[in-house]
Amino acid sequence: MSLEAGEIERKYGIPTVAVAGRNVVTFGINANFKYNTGMPIRFVGFPFPFSGQPQSVIQQYIEGKDSVSGKPLMQAIVDGLTAPLTADEKLSGTAPDAPPPEPRLLDADTRDNLQQLFRDKGWTDYNPVILPTPEKVAAMLKGTSHAPDEIVKSAAGTFGSRRPFTVEKVATIAVMAGAKPEYLPVILALSTKVPYQDSTTSIANMVVVSGPIRKKIGMNSGLGALGPDNEANAVIGRAMTLVHKVIQGYVEGVTGFASLSNPLRYDNLCFAEDEESLPEGWLPLHVQQGHKPTDSVVTIFTGWNFINSTGWVEQHYAPQFLMRDYMSSLSGMSATLIMDPTVAELLSGVQGFKTKADLGAWLSQNVEKTAESYWGNSIVSSMLAPLARQGLKPYADWLDLPGKTFVKPFANPNGIHAVVAGGKTASVWFATDFMPDRGTSIDEWT
Amino acid sequence: MDRRKMLALLGVSPVLAAGTPSFARTAPPTTPDAIRGAASCGTDKNTVTVLNPAIATRLAERVPLAPRLSSLDGKTIYLVDFDWGGMGQNDSIQQQMQAWFTKHMPTVKTIIKIKGGNFVTDDPALWKEIAANHGDGVIIGVAG
Repeated sequence: MSLEAGEIERKYGIPTVAVAGRNVVTFGINANFKYNTGMPIRFVGFPFPFSGQPQSVIQQYIEGKDSVSGKPLMQAIVDGLTAPLTADEKLSGTAPDAPPPEPRLLDADTRDNLQQLFRDKGWTDYNPVILPTPEKVAAMLKGTSHAPDEIVKSAAGTFGSRRPFTVEKVATIAVMAGAKPEYLPVILALSTKVPYQDSTTSIANMVVVSGPIRKKIGMNSGLGALGPDNEANAVIGRAMTLVHKVIQGYVEGVTGFASLSNPLRYDNLCFAEDEESLPEGWLPLHVQQGHKPTDSVVTIFTGWNFINSTGWVEQHYAPQFLMRDYMSSLSGMSATLIMDPTVAELLSGVQGFKTKADLGAWLSQNVEKTAESYWGNSIVSSMLAPLARQGLKPYADWLDLPGKTFVKPFANPNGIHAVVAGGKTASVWFATDFMPDRGTSIDEWT
Repeated sequence: MDRRKMLALLGVSPVLAAGTPSFARTAPPTTPDAIRGAASCGTDKNTVTVLNPAIATRLAERVPLAPRLSSLDGKTIYLVDFDWGGMGQNDSIQQQMQAWFTKHMPTVKTIIKIKGGNFVTDDPALWKEIAANHGDGVIIGVAG
């Protein structure tokens, strides 16, 4: 909202007041103003929640108080348009209160005090970190050919604020997470993708590593692939959390406002695909994305839901049917099925899905939900309804359907993905709504 | 009594005894071998020196606000629905704001508009339209 209000003010010189809930206001007048927009937009704080409230409640809100100034809300809006600008609001150019540069080394201190300092600064996941001594960071840097002072990315903060960081910073964080030097290229590749997705909703990330590096660094794609019992999976997932906090600057209540958040965020679901166990014709994830089989690639997925098959595949109900049933509770924006190799074999060999795309096409045609349930999901409605009103098919056709009419929410079969991993001890799977990015080269960071 | 304990009793941080300046070494070395040259132990054998993981954030360049109106009398104010939920269902807020202006500031002309696109997209055509139609002020909301 700051961007829109800022454009109206800057480009057209029209005074503007932005009205928003507490989270947007807090971010807008603090971190977003200081690091992103530079414009001190005048915000008025509107009570929350407002969506779905009856007119009587909205009227109370309108007659109530602005949570920023404490004034009557409409008076605050009028003042926002008419009160003369302060000296601070007239400033242009370089900000006068630039923070001092960060020293490369911290003051020497005891290990306990440094652990406490790291916790206090928000640089940990509240487990002890490995203290990044110069020797440990130097050893970590042996994991890449890139120079320590090379800039990995310039805009790393939430919503792209300017936080340039170097290879040495990522190596420092890799040490803190407990990484081995051979993990560093994966962590560097992951760090190029900041800022990671945050939301007031319970969004989470998932990391899938593909290609030869999986085996080279000992990642687990087999027994217990999604569990905690593998060093590389656990540590790389942890490193992503620390990159999120330290490099991106993620702080709940300052730059993040996830109301409930999501336990899937604890280790970012880091695992590898079992490419060797894919049925014939089923391509590895990274090859589907256009990379070579010999490339090493890390893919970051973003999503909300992780539905467990609970038990194994039954003889009397083919796996795609239960997948279809469970997926009807997902939004339809995207899906990723994570399945044991035994499930992939059943789908390919017994059910006739010769490729991952064949499975996606069948599910796209067979998953159904009612129109009212489809539009009842706020991620769907907020992202797609405005585009549907502008004529985007097939969603435009669904807007005015009777609520109980069934629609096929996964209209795009290419939005349904499959990743194979697991120990072949049970024909189990997960149906998720995770959406992949296009994959990032790890080889470039070796 | 050793020097460390004595300083602690005097309320002086043992870190000062180590004599490590905070901001003395800011230029990063360019090779791992150069890094290895830095010792991890402070001058006090019980302390350790570590790299600072923090990333310096650069402040955005300041952009001034547009001059404000002397009053709203006779002015045209656009009430822009941000369409947060996507279903065009929140313009009831703009309608109630409009009713408030009608009741309390009847000389103000208000026009309700719904921002196009979804909540992550801009609508430059609407801002252009507001300017072309001599909009004097904009109230945009509600997001949350």
